[in-house]
Amino acid sequence: MARRRPADDHVVAANKKRYPDTVMAYVMIAPIVILLGIFVIYPALQATVLSFYNWSFYQESEFVGLKNFTDVLTDPKFRASILLGLKFVAITLPVQLVGAFLFASLATAVNRRFADVLKVSIYIPTIISGVITSVIFTIIYDYSGGILNALLAKLDLTTQAWLGDPRLALVAIAAPAVWLGMGLTCLIMIAGMLDIPASFYESADVEGANWWQKTVYITIPQLKNILLYLIITGFVASIQQFELPLIMTNGGPMSSTELPNLFIFNHFRGDPYVGYSIAAALLLFVVLGSVSALIFRVLNSEKLVD
Amino acid sequence: MTAPTRRRLGVGTALLAATALLAACGSGTPGQTADEDAEAGDREVVEFWHHTFTTPENEWYEQAVEDFNASQDEVFVNETVVPGDAWDEKMTAAQAAGTAPDVYPVPGRLNDGVRLGSYLALDDLLPAEAFEQVTDAAAEISQVDGTWYGYPLLLEPQRVLYWNKEIFTEAGLDPESPPTSWDELYEACEQIQPVLADGQFCIETFSDQDTLAWSTVAEQMHVAGHLPISEDWTTADATDPAYEELIEHYTTLYSEGYIPRQSLAAGNSAAPFGEEKVAMITQGSWGMSELVADYPEVVDHTGVAPTITSDGDQTESLTTVGNFKWVLDANSDNAEAAAAFIAYALAGDTDVLLPFFVDTQFTKAPAREDVAEAVNADPGAAEAPWSEVITEDVVPYTIGEPLYPWDVNVAMGLAIQQSMMGDVAPADALAEADATIEQIIEREDLPANRAELGD
Repeated sequence: MARRRPADDHVVAANKKRYPDTVMAYVMIAPIVILLGIFVIYPALQATVLSFYNWSFYQESEFVGLKNFTDVLTDPKFRASILLGLKFVAITLPVQLVGAFLFASLATAVNRRFADVLKVSIYIPTIISGVITSVIFTIIYDYSGGILNALLAKLDLTTQAWLGDPRLALVAIAAPAVWLGMGLTCLIMIAGMLDIPASFYESADVEGANWWQKTVYITIPQLKNILLYLIITGFVASIQQFELPLIMTNGGPMSSTELPNLFIFNHFRGDPYVGYSIAAALLLFVVLGSVSALIFRVLNSEKLVD
Repeated sequence: MTAPTRRRLGVGTALLAATALLAACGSGTPGQTADEDAEAGDREVVEFWHHTFTTPENEWYEQAVEDFNASQDEVFVNETVVPGDAWDEKMTAAQAAGTAPDVYPVPGRLNDGVRLGSYLALDDLLPAEAFEQVTDAAAEISQVDGTWYGYPLLLEPQRVLYWNKEIFTEAGLDPESPPTSWDELYEACEQIQPVLADGQFCIETFSDQDTLAWSTVAEQMHVAGHLPISEDWTTADATDPAYEELIEHYTTLYSEGYIPRQSLAAGNSAAPFGEEKVAMITQGSWGMSELVADYPEVVDHTGVAPTITSDGDQTESLTTVGNFKWVLDANSDNAEAAAAFIAYALAGDTDVLLPFFVDTQFTKAPAREDVAEAVNADPGAAEAPWSEVITEDVVPYTIGEPLYPWDVNVAMGLAIQQSMMGDVAPADALAEADATIEQIIEREDLPANRAELGD
C-alpha cells in the first residue's frame, strides 16, 4: 500500500480551501439543471430531430432531410416576418429604453415619497396580463366606438383604422408593448442609478457640470452593463412578441403585424404537418442567438472599475 | 427543535395537506371533474369537443349530450366546449399529445384529414340505414372516395344579404328591393350615406384577410368561371383579369367609405347590423339566428336576400355552402361507443335534431331529408320568412367549399386586401398570389394529392 505523502495532504487541504463548497454548489444547481434538461434541452433535441421529418400524428412520420428548412428559407413570408420583427424592435426598444431612462432619472432625483409613487405607477402595467392589455387596447382602438377615435372626432380630426390600416397597425400594437415593458426596464435602471457612487456626482458638481454632462459622462457609462442586459432582453422580448398581435390583429391587415412567433404559430395550427413550424422555430432561434451575440460583441461587456 | 423550524415544518405540512386535498377533489381522468367522474361511473367515456357556437346551438349541444347520457347506462359522453379562436391550437396540441377527443365537429372538407389518416371510416360503425336519409349535398361533403368519414349535421350558405328596411325608407329607397349587382349597390350607398350618422356605414362586408379568404371563393368563381388553381392542381391560375374586377369592387367599397376601414366585429358575426351600425351586411345564413337571439328589436325591419353579385345574376355561384359534420378520431379507443353517440344525436330520432333547426330560426338546412320534412312542418317555419329565401333562393345556387388547401384561399384574400388597403395594383397583387399558390403547389405536392382524390 502506497504511503500517503505529506505533499498529498497539502494538495487536498489546498483544494478544500480553494473549493470549499463544490459539492454543495452541485447540489444547489442540480434541480435547475434537471429541470432545464427535461423542459428545455430534451425538447430542443427532440424538435431538432422532428424538423427533419414530415411529422404526422396519425401516420408513420416520413424523413424529408432538409426540406423543411429549405421550405422555410425560401418562403418570402418567413423572411418578411423576421424583418417585421426587427422593425418592431426598432420601434419599441429605443422608446422603451429612453422613456425608462428619463423616468428613472426623475425617480432618483425627487424625494423618497414621490419616488415611491412614481415607481409603483410605472410598474403597474408589468403585472397586468398581456391578454388583458390586448383587449383593453383593442377597445381603445375600436373604429366606431373606441375612445381614441372619439377624441379625434372631438378635435375635428379624421378618425383612423388603428388596427385595420396596414400603415398604422404595427405602431398601434407597439404602444401597448412599450407600456407593458417600461415598468421593469425602469426599475432595473433605477437600481443601477442608485448603485452609482454619489461622490462621482459631487465631484462633477464641484466642477460645474450640468445634468446633460453628468448623464453623458457618469450615468450612462456606469450603467453600461445594465444597458447591455436591457438591450439584449428587450430585443429578445420584443422580436418574440406574440400575444398582442395574436389578439389584437391576428397578424393582419395584410400580414403587417405577423411577427415571427405568430407566423410560426399560424403554421403550427394550420399546416397538415408540423415539421415546417419546428424548422422555422429553430431558424428563429439561430437569428435571435446571432443578433444577441452581435450586440454583446459591439457593446463589449466588461467589469466596472470604480 | 427551534420555534422557526417548527413553524417551517408546520407551513410545509399545511401546504402538503392542501395539495393532497386539491388532488382528492380532482379527477383521475384528464378533462373531467370529480363530479363527472362520479357520474360516468363504470361507463365507457367518450370525449366530445365542440366549438362555441351561437347561444341556441350551444344549448342544443348541451341538451343532446345530457339526453344521451340519461338515455342509457353504458356510455358517458364528456362534453368540452372550446372557443372558436382557440380550436386549432388546442386540437393540434391534443393530437400531438395523443389526447384528441373521440368525436368532434369539422367544417369544410374532409379530404386533407382523410389523406393524413385523421378520421375513422363510419361505414362499419353505423348501420347502413343511418345514411339513407342524408341529402346528396350533405353526402358529398361527408364522404371521400365513397367512404363515409363524417356524419353531417347541417348545411348553411356562407353569404346572404341582410338589409335594414327603415334606413332604406329614410334614404328614399324601396325597402323591399335590395341591390342585386355591384352597380346597384354603389347607387344605393350613394343614397344611403347622407342619412347615416357618424360611425354608421352603408355596408359591412368581409374585409379582413382570413375572412376574405373563405368568403370570396364563390365570387371568384362567379366573376372568372374558375378558381385560382387549375383543376388538376398543377398550376396557379390567379392572374385572370376577371379577378382584377373583383379586387376593384372591394377597392371601391373601401375608398368610397361604403364599408368601414376596420372590421366592426368578428368576420362571422352579424353584430354590426344588430347594433344598427350598418345599413346592410353580407353574412352567413347563421347571422339571422344571431339577430333573433341577440338583437330581436331589429328583426321586424330586417330583410334577407341572396347576396349581391357582379352582374346581378343570382342563379349562379352565389356563395359557398358551409357545413358541419361530426367525425371520429382515428386514434379513438372507444370508436363503437363514440359511434353510438353520433347515431343518437345525428342519425337517430328526428325529434333530437328538430330543436336545433327550430331554435336557430330556420337559418340552416338539415342534412337529412326526414329532418328537413319535420322542420318544414314545424309551425314556427311560417313565422320565419327568411327560411324560404335561404332554402329556395340561395341554397340551390351555392357551390361547395374548395378542396384545395386553405393557404390558397389566404393568398387570394391577401391579394384583395393588398389592393383594397394598400397601393398595390390589382394585377401586381394577383401576380404575387399566383406566385404564392405556385409555391404551395410545390411545397405540398398538390398534383399528387389531387390525383389521390380521384374524380
